[in-house]
Amino acid sequence: MIALRRIGDEFLKRREASILLVAIALMAYFQATTGIFFTESNIVNVSQYVAATAIIAAGQVLLLVSGEIDLSVGNVYTLAPFLMHYAVDFWGVPVIPSILLALVLSALIGLVNGFITVVLRVPSFVTTLGMLFLISGITLITSNAYPVPIPTAADAFAPWLGAAPWAEIIWALLIIAVLHAVLTSTRWGLHTIAVGGNLLGASEAGIRVGRIKIGNFMICSALGGFAGIIEAFRIDSIDPTAGGTGIMFAAVASAVIGGTALAGGSGTIIGALLGAVVLGVLRDGFNLIGVDAYTFDLIIGAAILLAMISNVHLARLRRAGRT
Amino acid sequence: MGDIDPRVEEAVETFGLPAVARRRLLTGGGLFSAGLAASALLAACGPDQQSNSGGEGVGDFPKTPKWKFVFVNHVTSNPFFVPTQYGAADACALLGCEFQWTGSKTSIAGEMVNATNAAVSAKADGIALCVVDVNAFAKPVDNALDAGIPVVSYNADGAPGKPGTNRLAYIGQDLFTSGVRLGERIAELVESGEVVGFIATPGQLNIQPRIDGAKQAIEQSGKSITFNQIASGAELPQELSTIDAYSQGHPDLKGMFAVDAGSTEGVAKVMAKYKLKDKGVASGGFDLVPGTLEGIKNGHLDFTIDQQPYLQGFLPVLSLYLYKLSGGLVSPAETNTGLLFVTKDNVDPYLTTKTRFEGSDTKQQLVERSGAIGHG
Repeated sequence: MIALRRIGDEFLKRREASILLVAIALMAYFQATTGIFFTESNIVNVSQYVAATAIIAAGQVLLLVSGEIDLSVGNVYTLAPFLMHYAVDFWGVPVIPSILLALVLSALIGLVNGFITVVLRVPSFVTTLGMLFLISGITLITSNAYPVPIPTAADAFAPWLGAAPWAEIIWALLIIAVLHAVLTSTRWGLHTIAVGGNLLGASEAGIRVGRIKIGNFMICSALGGFAGIIEAFRIDSIDPTAGGTGIMFAAVASAVIGGTALAGGSGTIIGALLGAVVLGVLRDGFNLIGVDAYTFDLIIGAAILLAMISNVHLARLRRAGRT
Repeated sequence: MGDIDPRVEEAVETFGLPAVARRRLLTGGGLFSAGLAASALLAACGPDQQSNSGGEGVGDFPKTPKWKFVFVNHVTSNPFFVPTQYGAADACALLGCEFQWTGSKTSIAGEMVNATNAAVSAKADGIALCVVDVNAFAKPVDNALDAGIPVVSYNADGAPGKPGTNRLAYIGQDLFTSGVRLGERIAELVESGEVVGFIATPGQLNIQPRIDGAKQAIEQSGKSITFNQIASGAELPQELSTIDAYSQGHPDLKGMFAVDAGSTEGVAKVMAKYKLKDKGVASGGFDLVPGTLEGIKNGHLDFTIDQQPYLQGFLPVLSLYLYKLSGGLVSPAETNTGLLFVTKDNVDPYLTTKTRFEGSDTKQQLVERSGAIGHG
């Protein structure tokens, strides 16, 4: 009994534990009510609801931890597959270099965000709000707001890049694993936490705060571009109405549900993944049960609040247990 | 569960409860189990069970399960589709089935693909889908058909000549043809000069074919009309500002037209604001939102085209139901929900009656009409 309790305590000490419990409870609920949640085809659906949001959320965690936010990442998500399309179909660049080019350009957008925020001292909320509209305009003008198919030259790569059932979630898990390692066990991660936790202290300790922030802007933006590209491959269409603020807010919500503080200084990549899983399970589960679109938003809003409230209170229990 | 009377088990089956609830009920774990079991038994002994020949379902149909059809829409909260939902609801009430209204609020194909895939996983009995992207829905629709789920498209059906999916049939307006008719009407109203066509979201396949059709018809008319396509945006306030600004920047405009509900309403408002009718500007568009109907009544708009959104909900349910009922023998048929020009002459009933058929009222009612039916 005591051993069991110790295991329980150890579990609760992990910051991600409470949100994991919420995710498991939701899955159990949907399995009990529909009986088909844990079928292979449905797990693939859930993974596709989760993957792109989780990838962007991971980038958003790095930024939030270092005390910034990127509102424009959803629009980079929309633009990146178009950049790939322009490179392949208009400029005759081979597919893989085209994708790399799209990712480099996405990272450059992050660099501009970082430069305006750090050097020109505009708060990132405002910087990236401006960038959001700017990128959206570029996408609409260059594409004539017209959806295009994935370039035929890219057909051979499509299964690897999101068209195969499990491809997206495998990419997402790889990215999550790498960024989790970066945040928890590298100097970059340590400095990121230090910059967000105590900016002045960090810079006095000799951390090059500007470089850390700009780097995280670039990582977040590049991840947004990558998520947009693999989603385009999955739905087999490059769509000017894809992404935007919807997926950006879903990513921020995932990060926050997963326990990342909006004020900076603390957060976990795994938590963001679990946050995205909770949102994905809710969306998929509501469609399985057959909740109407109008009720959908109401319930998902309430569910986010409930998940957060239980998360916060479990966190308090956790702290009480520790002291 | 060995000691449960098979008759009780059979009766409880009729509730259609999820597995867990049923188990709990049968083992007496639930609070209401005794009462529920009793009422199930009563139901089992009721008149429904007395004959096993046909005609136990609705009308003269045999008894069917409560089939569930999923409508995947691209703008779930758009007022245009309110009558569509009433149509689906009425057909479901008639046939003893149910429907789910889902998809995307903002035309995001990925969200619609997810909703379609979820409907396949949930083993829906049928899917009605707006094919607003010519590539994205091919695979999800094939998956549904492979899983034995009938699929029809409604309201939008890929690009002209390229439906984009293997759906069984399309139920909705023939969009390209409606555009051609719009173009022909424009060529009747305008002799020459500059004409603008507003489109909320270019490329969206529920509206782009219309503007393409209009362009083609104007070219074929041989008149020297320059037709400009202008994107007005997805939200009404934005559309209104775009149209207002355009009309101010183009004083020589001879006609203002639109191919979606929001832009048409915007055209009506701008026509009224600057009294452009007095300057001889022709105008028209699509759909029947209140602002558009007002514009027609007051003479600011020459016409609007009705595509019968109520039928776009009612008929898919009917088609999918018959497909299920007949074991696939009655396959959904291509259905053109029509192309009705609404002008000052026939706009009155739209304005004076509030009905479910136009989405302006929720209550069921019999709408009386009298007098001759207008014809050409």
